[in-house]
Amino acid sequence: MNPTFAVDIKLIPASQFTVDELTGIYNQTRVDYMVPMPMNATRLAEYISVYNVDLEHSLVAMQGDDMRGVAMLGVREGRAWITRLGVIPTTRRTGVGEALMAGLLEQAEQLNIQFDMLEVIKNNTPAHTLFLKLGFYEIGELLVLRRSPVLPPIDPTVADAQRLERHEALTLVGRDRGAQPWTNQSESLFNAQEVSGLYLTLGDGSRGWLVYQRQKFTLTRFIYKTEVGDPVKMAYAFLSHLHHQYPRLDTQLENIQINDPHLPAFYQMGYVESFRRIEMWRGTPPQSLLAR
Amino acid sequence: MKKILLIEDVADTAELVQRILTARGFEFMHASDAETGLQSALEFMPDLILLDLGLPDYDGQTVAGWIHNENDLRSTPLIAFTAWPEETARDMVNSYGFNGYISKPIVNVNEFVKQVASFVK
Repeated sequence: MNPTFAVDIKLIPASQFTVDELTGIYNQTRVDYMVPMPMNATRLAEYISVYNVDLEHSLVAMQGDDMRGVAMLGVREGRAWITRLGVIPTTRRTGVGEALMAGLLEQAEQLNIQFDMLEVIKNNTPAHTLFLKLGFYEIGELLVLRRSPVLPPIDPTVADAQRLERHEALTLVGRDRGAQPWTNQSESLFNAQEVSGLYLTLGDGSRGWLVYQRQKFTLTRFIYKTEVGDPVKMAYAFLSHLHHQYPRLDTQLENIQINDPHLPAFYQMGYVESFRRIEMWRGTPPQSLLAR
Repeated sequence: MKKILLIEDVADTAELVQRILTARGFEFMHASDAETGLQSALEFMPDLILLDLGLPDYDGQTVAGWIHNENDLRSTPLIAFTAWPEETARDMVNSYGFNGYISKPIVNVNEFVKQVASFVK
């Protein structure tokens, strides 16, 4: 599995380490990132569960007894996801990142998966270059958005509003989101706790829905659809209802596609951009993902 | 003696800030995650909170919300301590009710101290 290294590195399945150990190495690899996104063990465990990270097929790079890097593989039907890739700063530029990537792609192939997905933070040139070299190609740009609870209260748009319980919300989400960014695929919602939704019908007949996860301090994981009408008007309406209902909750949204027609409503509602990612694929999505 | 609380998960950064500020006569306290940070703020009642935006349990923006909801802390200057680009840092500062931001990494110690001193109430 190992190509040539400048340092003596072995790739070990991540399942041989505790979540605490994986959290430690992950945080060490991100310590100098512009957007470090550190985690504690609780958050990493949730991440592993919600995003179907397969620790048997994820890898840790070891030099002797020292952990030097980590890369995780999410596995769902017909597709794999490269995530949490990082190398500790003192070991970079020695081929460890490329070895971890090559190792993960090999793991995916062993699972008979020919379609791999990832996101890379925009302007992370070394990582982006590596992914291009390994055969990934760009799909589009993704936004990470925030909305502060400090903003003034919102008046809800006049509408017939129906709250959706978890099972109703997940029925609307459906199971056909396999070509969406991994974090926003159906499984990510099905695996998450505290999922519910809103179905709105406006006076002019426009209608649409929003499904979301409500955590202790934050609203997150939005999936939405305008069934009839203008997407911006519809999105403004469902966001106004949501933020009226939860005025003290922060909102964090990951991987909203930059060409999403609902996007102007988010900015009107006070959302700000945290950073951008580039979505990349390797291989072709299986027909089973595209056709459903 | 003015009291500074730093909420920051990277130990090396916290140690550097501690050395800089204690050498200049500030009383210093450090918390390495969000929940400990809020607890420390309530116990320590600092004159300034320096808050990293990327923390392992909850991020800095969420902590800012907690601090704004605490009557005893509402008037304490809250400064984002971040490596984010200037424009993003400014957006977050304005949106989340921070009093300002100081960029990481610290490249000029005197400038850093001057910035901290300017925010202390």
